[in-house]
Amino acid sequence: MAKIIVVTSGKGGVGKTTTSASFAVGLANRGYKTAVIDFDIGLRNLDLIMGCERRVVYDFVNVIRGEANLNQALIRDKHAKELFILPASQTRDKDALTLEGVAKVLDELGNTFDYIVCDSPAGIERGAQLAMYFADYAVVVTNPEVSSVRDSDRMLGLLSSKTKRAEEGREPITEHLLLTRYSPKRVTNGDMLSINDVNEILAIPLLGVIPESQAVLRASNSGEPVILDQKSDAGQAYADTIARFLGEQLPHRFIEEKSHWLKRIFSLKEKETV
Amino acid sequence: MTASSLLMDKQACFLLKTNFAPCTILQLTRYDLTQLESQLHATIQRTPHFFMGSPVIIDLEKVRQLGPLNFTKMKDILLANQLVPIGVRNGSEEQQCDAATYGLPTLTIGRLSHGETGSHSSQKKETHPRTHQTKLVSTPIRSGMQVYAKDGDLVVTAPVSVGAELLADGHIHVYGPLRGRAIAGVQGNTDARIFCSLLEAELVSIAGYYLTKEEMPLLDKTQSVIQIFLEKEKIKIEPIL
Repeated sequence: MAKIIVVTSGKGGVGKTTTSASFAVGLANRGYKTAVIDFDIGLRNLDLIMGCERRVVYDFVNVIRGEANLNQALIRDKHAKELFILPASQTRDKDALTLEGVAKVLDELGNTFDYIVCDSPAGIERGAQLAMYFADYAVVVTNPEVSSVRDSDRMLGLLSSKTKRAEEGREPITEHLLLTRYSPKRVTNGDMLSINDVNEILAIPLLGVIPESQAVLRASNSGEPVILDQKSDAGQAYADTIARFLGEQLPHRFIEEKSHWLKRIFSLKEKETV
Repeated sequence: MTASSLLMDKQACFLLKTNFAPCTILQLTRYDLTQLESQLHATIQRTPHFFMGSPVIIDLEKVRQLGPLNFTKMKDILLANQLVPIGVRNGSEEQQCDAATYGLPTLTIGRLSHGETGSHSSQKKETHPRTHQTKLVSTPIRSGMQVYAKDGDLVVTAPVSVGAELLADGHIHVYGPLRGRAIAGVQGNTDARIFCSLLEAELVSIAGYYLTKEEMPLLDKTQSVIQIFLEKEKIKIEPIL
């Protein structure tokens, strides 16, 4: 059976879809057969980030309603061989999703795929709850600011109570924290919560820290998941995140403020004089 | 005969069910029927609709030493004031037998009085003492979650987030940062206390008295365990040395 990962946050605009896209590409590039599902019915975005918006014919809701079969709706990704995308419907709303329908689709995918990444919509309503219901792993995407942290805390509460694993009393969902849009400079200035601040409140293992980066917006607009931009700091940070998810031990990068080259020279001089 | 009425005929014409309906208790502090009448009249006048037709149990605890009482008169007074007497309680054995002959059976709904002795000791044994179940939670209590320890204490061995709510009829103990709300003595127990190792709560409350974060004194974070309790209707926050 495939392992089901939900990418969730509660708050909107923190980077769930960006993370889902990069996560899916990262897993597929490591040889795992991966499907990524857009649960944001009515606000379809994943296809844009993945750059496959022109190839959408059938969608998730069509499959649930039996209007198309899975193979017709799955779109083969152009970046990674082992990756398939199941887009959301743009014309329906989240009530079009049913628990039985989602169960059926995940079951069918589970037979042939290694990983299924569920891109959750914002909020705590039906769409978000269905996205997390069958999950084995949760990636909680959080920005280093108080409202995002509180919403993530709420999601963690739902993950531990409103999911299949919780209801059946099985081993709980494995929770991972992914801090996105992290700016070490603003942390030093005291404008942003630090990793420790967030950790103190949420108290779940930190999977990765994605720095605030120009590359993310550029990647979104061009339909190339940012993990493919391995020159960028955000792309490298996502690659590290995948490695950690698969069990590798890597130190967190991009969490210290970059010092200016002049400053570095001066500090070297200081050392010499000492 | 229609099909439905045929069906009805086969069913029993009544069912016996146990039920505890809320009921007003009229506790006699002394036996003075004239005063009873005037006081009752005045009370009913103030809120005429509130008591209209309410069932009433007459509590005889304070007058049980007095011997025979005039239940016919008592009934009439109550009925005249729109109250419907349905029984008596806590009377002497003789009084209760007497009341029963006037259509007022002995009812033990609700709390038995402390003065209960003698013939009622057997009934007293049947009312179980409240079991004080302690509820233990060892997973983090996240924003939006609510945990209630009914009839007992609540022990939490994990962090309590902002926006989470702890409730207990008894004490609350938190061995982790307390950032949400803690409400002890929900049902009015003023002896209930809150204990925690790190107090950053949004609100603490004991038996309805509360303090918001803004009103809490600033505490030294390195301090040991903190207890919160009620003293002269004021919430006190003190470290346990």
